[in-house]
Amino acid sequence: MIDLVSLAAIVRKEFIQALRDRRMLAMLLGIPVLQIIIFGFAANLEFNRADTVFVDEDRSEESRDFLRGLTAEKTFLAHGVVTVAEMERELRNGTSQVGVVVPRGFGRRVEGVEAATVQAFVDGSDPTRAVAATAALEQYASRRTLEALRGLGGVAGVARVTFEPRLLYNPSLKSRLFMVPGTAASILVILTTIVTAMGLAREREVGTMEQLLVTPIRPLTLMVGKTIPYAVFGLVDVTLILVVGNLVFDVPMRGGVAVVYLGALVYLVSTLGVGLLIATVVETQQQALMVGFFFLLPAILLSGFMTPIEAMPRWIVPLTYLNPVRYFVAILRAVLLRGAGLRDVAEPMGSLAALSLGVLLLSAARFRRTLG
Amino acid sequence: MSAIIEVVGLEKRFGTFQAVRGVSFQVDRGEIFGYLGANGAGKSTTIRILCGLMTPSGGTASVAGHDVASDPEGVRFSVGYMSQRFSLYPDLTAMENLDFFGGAYRLARRARLRRAEALLGDVGLSADDPRTAGAMPGGVRQRLALAAALLHGPQVVFLDEPTAGVDPEARRTFWRIIRKLSDSGTTVFVTTHYMDEAEYCHRVGLMVDGALVALDTPSGLKRAHVPGRLFAVRGTGLDVARLRELAGVTHVEPFGAGLHVRGDLLTAEVLSEAVRAHGGQGVLVEESAPTLEDVFLAVAARSSAG
Repeated sequence: MIDLVSLAAIVRKEFIQALRDRRMLAMLLGIPVLQIIIFGFAANLEFNRADTVFVDEDRSEESRDFLRGLTAEKTFLAHGVVTVAEMERELRNGTSQVGVVVPRGFGRRVEGVEAATVQAFVDGSDPTRAVAATAALEQYASRRTLEALRGLGGVAGVARVTFEPRLLYNPSLKSRLFMVPGTAASILVILTTIVTAMGLAREREVGTMEQLLVTPIRPLTLMVGKTIPYAVFGLVDVTLILVVGNLVFDVPMRGGVAVVYLGALVYLVSTLGVGLLIATVVETQQQALMVGFFFLLPAILLSGFMTPIEAMPRWIVPLTYLNPVRYFVAILRAVLLRGAGLRDVAEPMGSLAALSLGVLLLSAARFRRTLG
Repeated sequence: MSAIIEVVGLEKRFGTFQAVRGVSFQVDRGEIFGYLGANGAGKSTTIRILCGLMTPSGGTASVAGHDVASDPEGVRFSVGYMSQRFSLYPDLTAMENLDFFGGAYRLARRARLRRAEALLGDVGLSADDPRTAGAMPGGVRQRLALAAALLHGPQVVFLDEPTAGVDPEARRTFWRIIRKLSDSGTTVFVTTHYMDEAEYCHRVGLMVDGALVALDTPSGLKRAHVPGRLFAVRGTGLDVARLRELAGVTHVEPFGAGLHVRGDLLTAEVLSEAVRAHGGQGVLVEESAPTLEDVFLAVAARSSAG
């Protein structure tokens, strides 16, 4: 199936070409580092602060105290006390994300130990932030209530059940620790798929494919030969990304490095294989790029990189079984953050290996040895 | 002499377009076989079928004893191919290109490097030329491509318009190499646009609209298709229609700036008087030897006339 003399010749040639092409080298080695830094900083889902405006219709001691306490939280960055109309405008143009309206009679009700309502408007166009802001508001309100109860001496008698949650692996819930492995998997799939798809399409465009086809090179030899050099570059990228992730974003390496590299190698074979498969259905580099993105966008979005696969509609889930990105994201998170060993990731690793082999064989089978 | 290429009733269709129509011929070992025809006449398609790059739609073809349809692998090892378009890697040097293609033919590394060096010497190139193929001038590139086609010592080399766009000096050098190849027993199957190059071939086949309409040695073709005496007529005010009606004139074809007039019983004196009588000025008539271009024009005219 594979001829070693030809295989070595292809690998050597691909290395020479890649190393001679400065732009290709920059793309292979520079861009991943740049991207992991930029995306690592940008891909921050944590809710830090919300610009907040206040409408104080009560203008009492109590209402001022309530709002002072709210801004003391730091979560809510005070944008000043305004009228209802101004608040509406601020929310609409996005200057503020939260508007708090203290109604007339608030102070009197608090004074008289009656239930008091404060209205809050939260910009729901960014659901993550809206949910976090709402939770912070509710937390503040219940703390105020507890404080008021304590002032009345009523807390001691109330029986309370509380959970004491202990967050494992990422106790401060830094979203970066969650995002960086996903970003790494995405960068690798983009780079390797596009590079191989375009590379093979270029041979067709430039005419070297015709010369290649008159030789007795077997399709599988060609496919494997085109895979090996870029798998090596990909592993270099994995190293760069892990080092940068650790130095810049404190992403740990709790499990075995060897497991990560094994996973990366299997993953790269599958992504390179997809690139080759794309090249077998296109004629030009431009088409390769188009088809490449047609694959990449869903592959990344349906990988569990941002949104959990469990949250996707049931009919989409089977599609993700064919997505190599899904398995590598799972392996990386497990090994880096949870310290998983080879046995713990046996399932995604096995699926990924089967997928890789399938894709490579399929592209070799699809590769036509004739021009027509 | 045994035939190394045997083609019987070869057909190739692309959808409704018939590129090759029932072509049959044989090529002998060590022969330089020229394939002549206009663009789109089916020359490249025939070559691609014989190299195993395309599958025939009908008929059979075998090269060095391997059937192109059933044993393309055997064909690949026996033939070298030089495409019309330069198809080596432009970002690799001469040696790197040959190293790669030698590997593709499964030659061991040391052996193929030695062979590549020798071949580069044969075609007048240096093994340590630091230039990449893309940086070489056309003529040098063509010789490099030829070396690449010869790496595995094929019995037959197919050269598809090897000298297109190459200067006359480089063309002459190239043909010297081709003759040497033929002398050493390699069969050369070459397509060309240049009629003067076709004269170097042992035999020439003429393709018109996918059909092989004539096949013979250059002199045989001339005897068969350009009979009678041939005169080159130059001057102004030449009346082609009147000349065609002259007694003894069988053919009148535009040729270069003047005309080629053919006929059995003509003489230069009779012809030049007749041309002047029909309004020709500054007339100069000379008897000339027919070229393959005359053959091509005669055959093409007959074929298109039906």
